[in-house]
Amino acid sequence: MDLSQYAELFLAESREHLSACNQLLLEWERAPASPVPVGGLFRAVHTVKGMAATMGYARVTDVAHRTENLLDLLRRGSQPATDDLLQLLFRARDSLEQAVELSVVGREDEIDAAEILADLDGAAAALAGPGGRPAPAPGPAPAVEAPAVAGRLVQVTLRSEAPLKGGRALLVLKKAQALGPVRNVTPSETAFESDDFDGRFSFRIETTAQAADVERVVRAAGDVEHLTVGGEERRAPSPGAAPGAAQAPDAKSRHIRVDLRRLDGLMDLIGELVTARGRLNELAAQRRDPAVDDVAIQISRLSTELQAEIIQARMTPVWQVFDRFPRLVRDLARELGKQVAFRVEGKEIELDRAILDELGDPLLHLLRNAVDHGIEAPAERRSRGKKPEGEIVLAAVRERASVVISVSDDGRGIARAKILERAKRDGVVDPHAEALSDDQLLRVLARPGFSTAESVTSVSGRGVGIDVAMTRIRALGGSIDIRSQEGKGTTFVLRLPVTLAIVRALIAGVGAERYALPLTYVSETVEFGVQATTTVEGREAIVLRDRVVPLVHLRRLLGVTGDAPSRCPIIVLEMGDRRSGIVVDGMLGQQEIVVKGFDAPQGTLPVFSGATIMGDGIPALILDAGGLL
Amino acid sequence: MSHTVLVCDDAIFMRTMISDILGQAGFEIVGEAETGSQAVEKYKQLKPDLVTMDIVMPDMGGIDAVREIVKHDPDAKILMCSAMGQQALVVEAIQAGAKDFVVKPFQPSRVLEAVQRVLG
Repeated sequence: MDLSQYAELFLAESREHLSACNQLLLEWERAPASPVPVGGLFRAVHTVKGMAATMGYARVTDVAHRTENLLDLLRRGSQPATDDLLQLLFRARDSLEQAVELSVVGREDEIDAAEILADLDGAAAALAGPGGRPAPAPGPAPAVEAPAVAGRLVQVTLRSEAPLKGGRALLVLKKAQALGPVRNVTPSETAFESDDFDGRFSFRIETTAQAADVERVVRAAGDVEHLTVGGEERRAPSPGAAPGAAQAPDAKSRHIRVDLRRLDGLMDLIGELVTARGRLNELAAQRRDPAVDDVAIQISRLSTELQAEIIQARMTPVWQVFDRFPRLVRDLARELGKQVAFRVEGKEIELDRAILDELGDPLLHLLRNAVDHGIEAPAERRSRGKKPEGEIVLAAVRERASVVISVSDDGRGIARAKILERAKRDGVVDPHAEALSDDQLLRVLARPGFSTAESVTSVSGRGVGIDVAMTRIRALGGSIDIRSQEGKGTTFVLRLPVTLAIVRALIAGVGAERYALPLTYVSETVEFGVQATTTVEGREAIVLRDRVVPLVHLRRLLGVTGDAPSRCPIIVLEMGDRRSGIVVDGMLGQQEIVVKGFDAPQGTLPVFSGATIMGDGIPALILDAGGLL
Repeated sequence: MSHTVLVCDDAIFMRTMISDILGQAGFEIVGEAETGSQAVEKYKQLKPDLVTMDIVMPDMGGIDAVREIVKHDPDAKILMCSAMGQQALVVEAIQAGAKDFVVKPFQPSRVLEAVQRVLG
């Protein structure tokens, strides 16, 4: 049978089980005496083994089998987890993962498992006690006639290739019992439970049935090669062909798995539908024909529902990415000699798959920084009156149309004074500045190569990856904020739109062009020319409910010539603690836009995140709130 | 009328494969269960002609599920799906009332043979 069609399913499910193994191993490490994790581990590895064997991946099967052996011994012996055992099991899990990944892409011969197999076997032998399990004694042929008892003697030899012969032998006995009482089973039934049972056995049956009937019944148990009943020997017919597997129409199936690319394709089509809908609405508005209006409204409603459905289908809980972090934090902490309690919150929060897929690396950078540079060594923590064990929390929460993901540590925080010097020298802040705000701090940290340029001991490496993380998050239409308190810890806050594909946006006009501004970060609009303006730190600003909102004139920013209207709208953007007022010529309404990525030509202002096609077929650029703030 | 089958395995992969093998041979897969307790519940509800039962499952294992199902219906036709090296468990399952077993990795012909024996 063609197994390739199952490869993806095998991979997806194996990954799930291996991810569960990580969680279980971590759990076991925290509670070494608990019997629960080892049971779960055994089941997970066992399942992977069964699937791999079915796929014909011999090496995966082998690694899984030996891991399972060790787990079985641990499970039966109610053995508590020791550090060495856990390390070994972590390694075995990793080898298994590697073997699975390589096997699926046809690179099975690159799997090098010799070392881990030897270690697993070594550990299993040590656990089995001195001498280990008794070696299987080369058993004498057991089919010896037992003392004479009434009834027919039946001697059976099972096919040599039959698996689990003991089980088959027991089935033979069960079938035979239908004809009459069965006695003198040799070897005894307990031998059937042993893996060494070779498939030869005999018994006596008290029955009035003919020898031929006994034979028929016994053979019905399957896998019988050779059989004598009452001294009358009969040879087995050669194993026949499989019963004709009639090609019936496919049975109904309740599950379908959809290729992600299909979902993307569907999303693109719906995007085009949304664009066409916009155009239809515009035409309907021009026609003022109630019949056309009706259809337009109906199409609007249907496409909105369709869109909601497909977006829902793309939603993926964050644990799919978060679940690999506990293991990672643990390994890193061990390596660096830190003690870290890692907590994950809001695992079930959902995000568009496309966004979630991009989050792994940025989060990895932030977590690595937290362990490496945030959390102090146990001795240092003690001397500062903190618990020796540091805490790192990765949390996701839903906030309106965005998801907020934070990475917090209770470590040493960032030494602002040192960063300030650096910031002054680099001209990031005014040379007379006396303190750095969180925003300024982030801007310094996110400068590419910040930490490697010069050693700033207490924060060395702080900048590594933050520029990368920031670029990634911004490209997704999100933002990063930082909050850090010296001696208390640091928190990075990532804000992301829930979905990338279709967003609600404000359409603003500047000169002859239209621009789209995703509503995710729009907090309100006010009117310029009505609101009093002021100047703060050399920038034009308005004061809105006691808060200063610096203004950005889009017309000037984009170099549009001509005069702005005397009264025009200000779109107030809000991202975390930052605010900014964008002055545009006019507001053209709200609409759903389909986000298309675009490759900005060299020299383009970094304020566009993509493009969209408006209802009339003319493209408009999408403004990046992060870039404008 | 085709025979109805309840497929019990904690791995979707295995359920899919068994369903495919049996479906292509003309059986009707009427239900799937991921745990032993689900298997028992679905057996009572669907009364299938045949059950394929994995041995190792979370919540309630396959052998306990066989015991429960046989208690409810002594004529239940249950085919165990086992892995290599589970001799003792297979023996236990048969003592509990399973009618036959197949061993992973599955060969469709062997699965169908076993099914015929059980339904025979």
